[in-house]
Amino acid sequence: MGLVSWLIALPFLTMVAVVLVPERHWRSIRWISAAGTGAGLALTAYVVYRYWVEAAGDVELLRGATLTKLYLVERVAWFEPLGIQYFVGIDGISASMVVLTSIIIFCGVLASWNVETRTKEFFALLLLLVTGVFGVFLSYDLFLFFMFYELAVLPMYLLIGIWGTGPKEYAAMKLTLMLLVGSAFVLVGFLALYHESGLHTFDLQQLASVSYSGRFQWWFFPMIFVGFGVIGALFPFHTWSPDGHSSAPTAVSMLHAGVLMKLGGYGALRIAVYVLPEGAKAWALFFMGLTTINILYGSFGAIMQRDLKYFTAYSSVSHCGFVLFGVAALNLMGFKGAVLQMFSHGIMTGLFFGLIGIVYGRTHTRVIPEMGGLAKVMPWLATSFYIAGLASLGLPGLSGFVAETHVFLGGFFGNPWSNTIATRTLTIIATLSIVVTAVYVLRGLAMVFQGPIRDPHFEELRDATLTEKLSTGLLVATLLFVGMAPWLMIDLIEPSLYPFINRLQGTVTAGLTGEM
Amino acid sequence: MNIAYPEIVVAATAFVVLVGDMFMTERARVALAPLSALGLALGIAVTALFTPASGELLGGRFAMDPVAWWFKIAFMVAALVSVVLSMDTLDGRARVRARGMGFRGEYYMVLLSSVVGMMLLVSARDLATLFVSLEVATLPLFVLAAWRRDDPKSGEAGLKYVILGALASAFIGYGFSILYGLARSTDLDIIAHSVSGEYTPAFLLAVALVLAGTGFKLTVVPFHMWAADVYQGAPTPVTAYLSVASKAAGLAFAFQVLFRLFGNWLPQWGMLIAVFAALTMTLGNVVAIVQHNVKRFMAYSAISQAGYFLLGFLGSANEGVPAMLFYLVVYVVSNLAAFACIVWFANETGKEQIEDYRGLSLTNPLVALAMMVALFSLAGIPPLSGFVGKFFLFNIASKAGYHWLVALAAVNSTISLYYYLRVVRQMYIEPVDAEASTPGVSRNVGVTLALLSLAIVVLGIVPTFYERIHASTVAWLLSLSAG
Repeated sequence: MGLVSWLIALPFLTMVAVVLVPERHWRSIRWISAAGTGAGLALTAYVVYRYWVEAAGDVELLRGATLTKLYLVERVAWFEPLGIQYFVGIDGISASMVVLTSIIIFCGVLASWNVETRTKEFFALLLLLVTGVFGVFLSYDLFLFFMFYELAVLPMYLLIGIWGTGPKEYAAMKLTLMLLVGSAFVLVGFLALYHESGLHTFDLQQLASVSYSGRFQWWFFPMIFVGFGVIGALFPFHTWSPDGHSSAPTAVSMLHAGVLMKLGGYGALRIAVYVLPEGAKAWALFFMGLTTINILYGSFGAIMQRDLKYFTAYSSVSHCGFVLFGVAALNLMGFKGAVLQMFSHGIMTGLFFGLIGIVYGRTHTRVIPEMGGLAKVMPWLATSFYIAGLASLGLPGLSGFVAETHVFLGGFFGNPWSNTIATRTLTIIATLSIVVTAVYVLRGLAMVFQGPIRDPHFEELRDATLTEKLSTGLLVATLLFVGMAPWLMIDLIEPSLYPFINRLQGTVTAGLTGEM
Repeated sequence: MNIAYPEIVVAATAFVVLVGDMFMTERARVALAPLSALGLALGIAVTALFTPASGELLGGRFAMDPVAWWFKIAFMVAALVSVVLSMDTLDGRARVRARGMGFRGEYYMVLLSSVVGMMLLVSARDLATLFVSLEVATLPLFVLAAWRRDDPKSGEAGLKYVILGALASAFIGYGFSILYGLARSTDLDIIAHSVSGEYTPAFLLAVALVLAGTGFKLTVVPFHMWAADVYQGAPTPVTAYLSVASKAAGLAFAFQVLFRLFGNWLPQWGMLIAVFAALTMTLGNVVAIVQHNVKRFMAYSAISQAGYFLLGFLGSANEGVPAMLFYLVVYVVSNLAAFACIVWFANETGKEQIEDYRGLSLTNPLVALAMMVALFSLAGIPPLSGFVGKFFLFNIASKAGYHWLVALAAVNSTISLYYYLRVVRQMYIEPVDAEASTPGVSRNVGVTLALLSLAIVVLGIVPTFYERIHASTVAWLLSLSAG
């Protein structure tokens, strides 16, 4: 079993270990989960290092390629009569997403330290979900991809339904069904690709080496893009997100907003744009318009919220809009921005939801006007909250700035296949959201943390515990690191994006294959 | 002769059970269920080890081929599990006794004869054999549905089933007689070749009659009306058997009719089949949403599953048949796992409303887990085998160009997930009553559930099984073109 398979297997094996521990030792379950995900973090670091070393010499090669190059590839035939394979590997985009997932799940486990009802089931489901997420980011066979994709979505139902708060059954059902309807369209698209290519394989690289007819691409690009868009909170299919996020328990909100929503952006870029470039050109402007609504709608929605979780959920809708906006820009700058934004928003929103969980655990309220002056009693948490907030409004020096700048520049540069005036107008409209974001973030933070302490009970609240400091500290450090040294992330991602651009610009010819 | 060993073994078991029952004391009759199970296990072993995968008897009226081989294995596995599930109820070990569930010898004998009928059905190569074996397979089911004589619901189920079943059989018989008139032969192959030509009115009438009858057996909308009442009224262990056996027999009959008899016409009927598939899966799913009785709910779930099976007829045989056979095995395993939980629950509590399952995950976590796995497999959630099976069937429809149908089927899977999740929600999410007890699980139910759950997972991950089915189908098609 190779390195990449171990990345997928590690959370699964941790889950098995958790299941085997008797329920009465529920305290040790937390330690096992923390150890497993911590080991996953270390393994991720090693895999990314290996990728870095192996890919270092290939930048020039990729500059002219039309197929992205995969590293640490493992390939085993599976359901042979249908040409299905177990095919995993890693490239720059996958690598950045895997780093994100590893960090978020580790922090998520730490943030779940106080889950004391049905602990075993909680951690088992959480780890199962993460197995699915790793699988999606690392698999390059569409069947395998889809299998992991659904595996990542379904545990959410029970996680929200059992451990959630508020109208949890409704939120859980709405979320599950909407995401699965999205995946139904993805499935139709995958099967259509399989038959249209005539190659009798689900191998993404081989499917991408076929040039599909314009008519086919025109029909199936939006199908796959919207299918993934549902999980990426594309307007108007985002409505599951505020309900789902606000009802979910802390770690689940973190994972869901931090990682699961990225599956949408990742799938839209990796499969829809990559395999169907002509379709992407035809539909780019339409989706750019839709995501502009996304960005503005999310940020205006956030202004109206009184509940901290709804507030963050709407802000997530807005920020995930940036991801798809960058994808729809169809240029290198936009794609880089989209991937950076996925990473940055994942960390940022993970931090947000983690902090909200911690604060809620102490104040027992999430209603913004009921809080106030909390910075006096919990300086660590307040500082972390401020950093997350500033990253979210795009302050230079934090990761959000790097990502949003790329996205907006990408939108402004436009592409040869969309009307330049239109893309520029949309970009300018979308940038308005920065102002709105600043308004709601600063106002929200001020109401929660500044001013006099509203409730005398708040005087006795404690600041972060050690595990809380560890998880929030790790996330804050990542935000700062990417903000200060963005070139490291960009170097990781950029070479893998060259083929995407080459495919858009030229007709698809046989280029690199997966193993090269 | 050796190709008929499986039928001979099962029929002999039925005979031994019936005769043994006459000479047994009431206490000794406990042995009848293990005896029947043993006979079926022996049948499976004989089929797997000693029965050649092809051959003919009686001048070609009875023939074995690799596809029939798989059907027979599926029938016997379904019957074996059903016998094990019936044991506790019939031997009076249930905590809540079902009145009128006696006559063990007759019960197992009737059940075994229906299995023999189904096995003959897939081997029949002649209109008369086909018709007779269909009747042998379904008549015992009418009797089983009405087994609880003093329960009016059971009686109603039996009566409804027999009247509508007889009507369907009459349609099929009439259709067959017209086909015989057209081809002047009862041999399926000869009919298939001699009537392929233009659509004459007589031929169209025959086709319509036969297809309507087939639709009834497979619970295709609009011929599904009987299913919900029969499933709900029949004793729970019988419902378990009905839900898999009658569906498997219906599929076998549809396979015989559509691939063997009308194989030359099938490519032209794609749109017709697609429309029926769409209607069946949608109606089954939508109506299942509002059900409260768990057996009725499973009935509509089974109707929608029939719609998925129909997708297998949209493609050529070398792809459609393996996908269909694989999904049949998956369906049998998953549905029986769900019914194992339902039968056990009914035996322990006497209840069969979905709301009664509240809190099961706390009182009996392993059964709740098995039930959830079974339901998720039926909904088509990876990595369970139900997902793989559905994926293969969707693949057929996609290849034939019915993208709208694939989209509808995939959306239907989501709808079905909604109602399966209703059960999961009761088991896992709803708060549990304080006085809820922890009912135990008998050894046979425990082992059955464990094995079925394991099968649900393994079939979806280990490809060997599907590859075997695929290879068998290829072998069957080669034998067709050679002969």
